[in-house]
Amino acid sequence: MRTKKRVLDILWFVLLTLLTVAFLFPVFAVLINSFKGQLYITSSPFSFPTGETFAGLANYLNGIRKIRFFEAFGYSLFITVASVALIVLGTSMTAWFLIRNKSKFSSFLYYLFVFSMIVPFQMVMFTMSKVANTLNLENPVGIVLLYLGFGAGLSVFMFGGFIRGIPRSVEEAAEIDGCTPISKFFLVVFPLLKPITVTVAVLNAMWIWNDYLLPYLVIGSKYRTIPVAVQYLQGGYGSRDIGALMAMLVLAIIPIVVFYALAQKSIIKGVIAGAVKG
Amino acid sequence: MKKLLFFTLLLTVGLAFCSCGKREGVYFFNFKPEIAEKYERLAEIYEEETGVPVRVVTAASGTYEQTLKSEIVKKDAPAIFQINGPVGYAAWKDYCMDLSQSELYRHLTDKTLAISDGAGVYGIPYVVEGYGIIYNEEITDKYFALSNKGTTYQSMDEIRSFAALKALVEDMTAHKSELGIEGVFASTSLKSGEDWRFQTHLANVPLYYEFLDKGVDLKKPATYANVEFSYAEGYRNLFDLYLNNSVTDKKLLGSVQVADSMAEFALGRCAMVQNGNWAYSQVAEVTGNTVKADKVHFLPLYIGSAEEESQGLCTGTEGYFAINKNLSEEQKKQALDFLTWMFTSETGKAFVTEELDFIAPFDTFTDADKPKDPLSREISDWLEKEEVYNVPWIFTVFPGQNFKTDFGSALLQYAQGSKSFDEVKEIFVRRWKEESEKLS
Amino acid sequence: MKKSFFRYFPIFVLPTLICFFIAFFVPFVMGIYLSFTKFTTVGNASFVGLRNYITVFSASSGFWRAFFFTAAFTLVSTLTVNFFAFLLALLLTRGKRGTNFFRTVFFMPNLVGGIVLGYIWQLLINGVLNSFGVDITFAAKYGFWGLVILTNWQLIGYMMIIYIAGIQSVPKELHEVAQIDGATAFGELRHVTLPLVAPSVTICAFLTLTNSFKMFDQNLALTGGAPGRETSMLALDIYQTFYGSVGQEGVGQAKAVIFFLLVAAIAGAQLYLSRRSEAKAE
Repeated sequence: MRTKKRVLDILWFVLLTLLTVAFLFPVFAVLINSFKGQLYITSSPFSFPTGETFAGLANYLNGIRKIRFFEAFGYSLFITVASVALIVLGTSMTAWFLIRNKSKFSSFLYYLFVFSMIVPFQMVMFTMSKVANTLNLENPVGIVLLYLGFGAGLSVFMFGGFIRGIPRSVEEAAEIDGCTPISKFFLVVFPLLKPITVTVAVLNAMWIWNDYLLPYLVIGSKYRTIPVAVQYLQGGYGSRDIGALMAMLVLAIIPIVVFYALAQKSIIKGVIAGAVKG
Repeated sequence: MKKLLFFTLLLTVGLAFCSCGKREGVYFFNFKPEIAEKYERLAEIYEEETGVPVRVVTAASGTYEQTLKSEIVKKDAPAIFQINGPVGYAAWKDYCMDLSQSELYRHLTDKTLAISDGAGVYGIPYVVEGYGIIYNEEITDKYFALSNKGTTYQSMDEIRSFAALKALVEDMTAHKSELGIEGVFASTSLKSGEDWRFQTHLANVPLYYEFLDKGVDLKKPATYANVEFSYAEGYRNLFDLYLNNSVTDKKLLGSVQVADSMAEFALGRCAMVQNGNWAYSQVAEVTGNTVKADKVHFLPLYIGSAEEESQGLCTGTEGYFAINKNLSEEQKKQALDFLTWMFTSETGKAFVTEELDFIAPFDTFTDADKPKDPLSREISDWLEKEEVYNVPWIFTVFPGQNFKTDFGSALLQYAQGSKSFDEVKEIFVRRWKEESEKLS
Repeated sequence: MKKSFFRYFPIFVLPTLICFFIAFFVPFVMGIYLSFTKFTTVGNASFVGLRNYITVFSASSGFWRAFFFTAAFTLVSTLTVNFFAFLLALLLTRGKRGTNFFRTVFFMPNLVGGIVLGYIWQLLINGVLNSFGVDITFAAKYGFWGLVILTNWQLIGYMMIIYIAGIQSVPKELHEVAQIDGATAFGELRHVTLPLVAPSVTICAFLTLTNSFKMFDQNLALTGGAPGRETSMLALDIYQTFYGSVGQEGVGQAKAVIFFLLVAAIAGAQLYLSRRSEAKAE
């Protein structure tokens, strides 16, 4: 009995280790190919770089120069951080206000926000870029406002659901103290929202960091975020640099891995909470 | 604290609205990603000289038309953009300004090259390019020096027909180990999106002769709404020669890219490759490149037609500058000024020949202004040969990308043995007709 | 109350609401209007009634091809993703050492963006197909299975986490009771675990469904629709109709409206099903 259990344990471990290898293999393959000369990537993608095929850091230097990677990284970082901050601030205030001031008008607005959640981006891609163009929002600051607007639905919905679960009595104590709604929100309510704030922040950060079409259509010709820049290396008329592409894929993955390593628990928790709510 | 937050919010909103959309200068929407950096340098030089800023924006390759479509409806729309021929003009005619009165058009050497609807001129070609079979003279010389060779040829000048080319290539294949090559021709890149050398460029030659026979007028689409692909046999012969004397087994061609083929040529693994003068930088950039600049030359694409002894290279252009007519007069003038400067001023001309390596079709360029890269120089030499006629680019009237894609994948299936050439021919004729109908 | 409502509304709601109107509401209404017009920019739209919609449903617009491709892809990936994710979740809820590490690894691909994912798998799939002398753009079936594999890699870890949460919420006593009753491992799975994780199954099924149905970035990067437009899913087909052809903007916008209605229908079905199971539970 004991030995049978041990055998099962070992089997379990071996199976999962094999699966882990399989899961990590794609990233690993990109990593080794990023050090190989262009010519050898298509012809033998699964071999290690050797003397002849080893290209050193050439692909990295090439790619960084071609797509101005660090500039793209800067835009991605700025847009993601600013948008997430603004979304958290703006939608938590909106959700609280609409939930706590019940009226026909406020529930109409609330459901309008919720409705926007189910509208796919393709539905508004052309008209949104047109509106953004008319209002001069085609810059890294303007796009933050677009993200607040387009991301508001999900975030208002999630904050709203959470706020409904907070007993009013907590807030009423503050009212007696003579607080204005503003200080009441920031001193009493906002700290209570911390768990859902993390969820909202994680979900929006993942979406905005990886988003392609919106930044491509709105600011893509002037400011390139990382996904837009990577797509910029795509092939055509023989000019495709697959070596640089591999190197840029590696550089695009690194920030994500770092972020994941630092905030793994919050990310997983946020994603589950988001899934269950959404 | 909260007031601060609120004001930050307001400030962000305010900032975004203020950062003005209308920007000064010329918006140049570049078609060629491979030379984007050079254009940017040219723009800097222009700004230093004239004070007028030029903004170069480049679309990723293969997405030019898509990006142009989203850019051109914006407030800050491109001033200079590119159309690729009559088909491109048809798509963008609402935006193309009449250039018949421009200085640049006056300087155009051959006025028939421009895109015109009879009354106005809407696109001005800015670069002449050419293609054929590029060969490495060092390897062919090595062959001619062989004592046991099976032909009597002594130099490439004797190769003036398909029959001669076939005899040469097949005997070179027989001696490939002595020549130190893996095949005479570089791989025939038939990966989807990488097959344009064959579904477009090579197909130009048989159609040129067919159009000649039929007296087709390129300005009248009705005259070529149907084709017979009557020179299909000649096309097949040359294509077979590529496939059977290649570095790569013909069953494995579906994953080969143009860059792979050019690298094979650069590394000396093969002696010949079909491509154009634009590909020289691709050869020169390969690490371990063994091809010497003075040893690369062109050979025409012989398909066994009647007068092929005097056939030259395929030369023409796919690049026409157009000016956005919906901009203000000031902006249009600035855009034209930039183009005129680029092709007439000393600084501009020097940059065009030395950096961009363009063969510019304007009378301001003299013999001294030939580009320095060897393949471009070869093209201008061939253009000057009195005794040969050049095959013009008629593939600009091929009925769209879908036609080319389908023809290309049929060629791949032929190479892999799953389609006969008769089926390929049938697809060519049928898809041409279907796609032409969609356009009219 | 009323007075303070109007006093604080501009601070709490207005900034978000303005952005919401700019980024969503105005474009949405304009989008619906434009789907009934012929236009190249918003300024020159002319009303054409239902003509765009008629074109969408005609054979040559590519809508049906994209729709059936999307539907088949969505079905296959929803089934495979959930099957494998559930298996993994079962393996990772046995309280063994190393469980946490494995979870962390399996979840990771979910964080990688669609464009990057697409290129990673293009390398791998072409690497394998290369030995047969073709690549992923050679035939639509390669692109189809390529997308399925990619989606599995991306979503299995995510769904696994949700299933793990579901399985762990099954009270221990229930398992003990089942074991005392002499249930086999399979019987225990079928009669104890499965019924109790049913809500997780609904959630995961709809998450995979919506994710696959709306997929764009991965599609663009992996195949770009090639060969031809045979592997374009609905979202990519709309994009290509809009920006990849001449004079088709109205048709593209009409396709987008239909796409929105389809997505809304899926969301409606999800809402209905989860409401019903909630009502049952109470």
